[in-house]
Amino acid sequence: MGSEATGTDSTFQPHGKRRGGRNWPRWLPALAVPAVIAAAALAGTLPANAGDPLPQKTPAEVLALAAAHHAQAFSGTIEQSSDLGLPALPSTGASSDPASAGGAASVVEFLSGQHTARVYLDGATKARIQVVDRLAERDIVRRESDVWFYSSKDNSAAHLTLPAHAADLPLAAPQTQGEDPAAPTQSGSPSESMIPTPEDLARHLLEKVDASTAVTVGADVDVAGRSAYNLLLEPRSDATLVGQVAIAVDGETGMPLAVQVTARGAGTPAFRLGFTALSLEAPDDALFTFSPPPGSTVKELQVPGPGQETYGGHTPGAHQLGDPAGDGKGSEHPSVLGQGWETILRLPAAAAGAPDANSFLADPLLAQAAVVVPGGRLVSTALLNVLITDDGRVYAGMVPPDRLQAAASTAP
Amino acid sequence: MQSELKVLFGRRRTWALLLALAAIPILIAVAVRLSSGVPSGRGPAFLDRITQNGLFVAFTAMLVSVPLFLPLTVGVVAGDTIAGEASMGTLRYLLVAPAGRVRLLLVKYAAALAFCVVAPLTVALAGAAIGAALFPVGPVTLLSGDVIQPPEAAVRMLLIAAYMAVSLAGLSAIGLFLSTLTVVPVGAMAATVVISVVSQIADQLPQLEWLHPWLFSHYWLGFGDMLRQPVLWDSFGSNALLQAGYIAVFGALAYARFTTKDVLS
Repeated sequence: MGSEATGTDSTFQPHGKRRGGRNWPRWLPALAVPAVIAAAALAGTLPANAGDPLPQKTPAEVLALAAAHHAQAFSGTIEQSSDLGLPALPSTGASSDPASAGGAASVVEFLSGQHTARVYLDGATKARIQVVDRLAERDIVRRESDVWFYSSKDNSAAHLTLPAHAADLPLAAPQTQGEDPAAPTQSGSPSESMIPTPEDLARHLLEKVDASTAVTVGADVDVAGRSAYNLLLEPRSDATLVGQVAIAVDGETGMPLAVQVTARGAGTPAFRLGFTALSLEAPDDALFTFSPPPGSTVKELQVPGPGQETYGGHTPGAHQLGDPAGDGKGSEHPSVLGQGWETILRLPAAAAGAPDANSFLADPLLAQAAVVVPGGRLVSTALLNVLITDDGRVYAGMVPPDRLQAAASTAP
Repeated sequence: MQSELKVLFGRRRTWALLLALAAIPILIAVAVRLSSGVPSGRGPAFLDRITQNGLFVAFTAMLVSVPLFLPLTVGVVAGDTIAGEASMGTLRYLLVAPAGRVRLLLVKYAAALAFCVVAPLTVALAGAAIGAALFPVGPVTLLSGDVIQPPEAAVRMLLIAAYMAVSLAGLSAIGLFLSTLTVVPVGAMAATVVISVVSQIADQLPQLEWLHPWLFSHYWLGFGDMLRQPVLWDSFGSNALLQAGYIAVFGALAYARFTTKDVLS
């Protein structure tokens, strides 16, 4: 059939030549339109320059701007993409059980591919996150101390009542992080367990800014139609996989708008999380009201204890960069080796409450990605290496594999 | 224009196509009615909701008909536009009239677009009707977990039909162009359908990821975004832009081809 079409088309050629002198202008639109579209597409991919250049600021001033920012109310769309060199997951393979949203499955899910989420935030205690899947959606709705999880795939809902001391904690307020005894629960809070906002991630990264990091401010960037300072963090150490972290800080409000992590020596970011649309107006209050739809299965969840959030609820970057200092005491708990960008997180063989290392590997994707190395199995990605020793200990860090192996062989 | 629409919708073939489309929701509804409950999470999305709410028949039917049935019917109509006249030997009479070739092309494309609007509407309306007849109708649960009342659900359904009408506009432009290439309408029809299938297969291949946003079928399944709360308009916008691009490219090609070709039949 196709040959039929092209067959007649080819008969046009001699005839076109015969009268080409008169008719060729009529083919001009057919040539011009694709050219115009190609030009428009190219123009779209060029880095858009913000109309008004932001006032010049030193890195310290940008850091202060970002730190002084408090998320009040906004609604926006966040896109996250990872290109860590892991095999791609089928998009339908995502875990659909909201109760397992913080489990290893969703951590693995965000290690590959691209995800979109819509985030609505109003004040400290009202939030809604919608992870947009094809023909499906996973929701987290929080109003005061009530948190609802909903998954449209199997029409299931789960409810969680935050304990009183956590209820007045803002979901995404930087100033309370790490000072409150509830902080571990806090960092495993729903806002992060599915998809973190650029702000959550930027906060983790900015906490790490110290002497081991060179901080510069790059050319202004345009994120979600807003001009932003581009804060560039470069590890001074060679013993890390991270080449550069770029954080776009909104020039007006200081809100982190995007985070890009580029592996050492790589040209394109291995991990990107950023707003594609952002409105600073308060979202419709009705969005934060949720009641389980008729016919759905409803589960009541218990507030996870501090030990349970070790594995769940962190993206690859945040998981490793998360503030584990509070957990680093005693051999029963995960411990931290090294410092700065060379930090290695160590999980003992049977960490209390943490998923067993072998159950982690039971995931088909990771089982496929793991390679056998001397002393254990290694899951290697562009930004993060995870070594699971033969006796079940787990070493993870943004460092080359041999560092993990050295740590595993010297550690008790 | 009016006469063209009259010809299109006066044809027995057009009605047969629409009836076939309407049969899809009816088939689904009857099958679900006769079987004992669909386990949740199995089958196409929304299928398990039908027993609780008849309106989901329309959504399920839309989902089922998007990959093949809708492109098939649109391919038949769009592929027939010019080639059909040529094969019946009526094209030259049409061109003898002082209307001009550009006008004829526009009228033919407008008629094909009208079918693009009617076809998804048929699926939606037939689905809602048979669903209401066989199952209880009540508040509809959106993908976001929010519940809306039937009148608002009807609005969402119309939005989905509109989304699909826009989605099919690019394909019918391709069909129009192919139709100007040949005098054998079946060839143009089949080529159009084959292109839509190829495009959808290419959309599934991760190796062709760079190509995906440029495939006219890329956003076809994005109609689910109309079922979120609030409605996610991003895919509607990108889809409309993409389809406009396809209409411009293949419209220009069809114009070039049709105005330069010797009409012999």
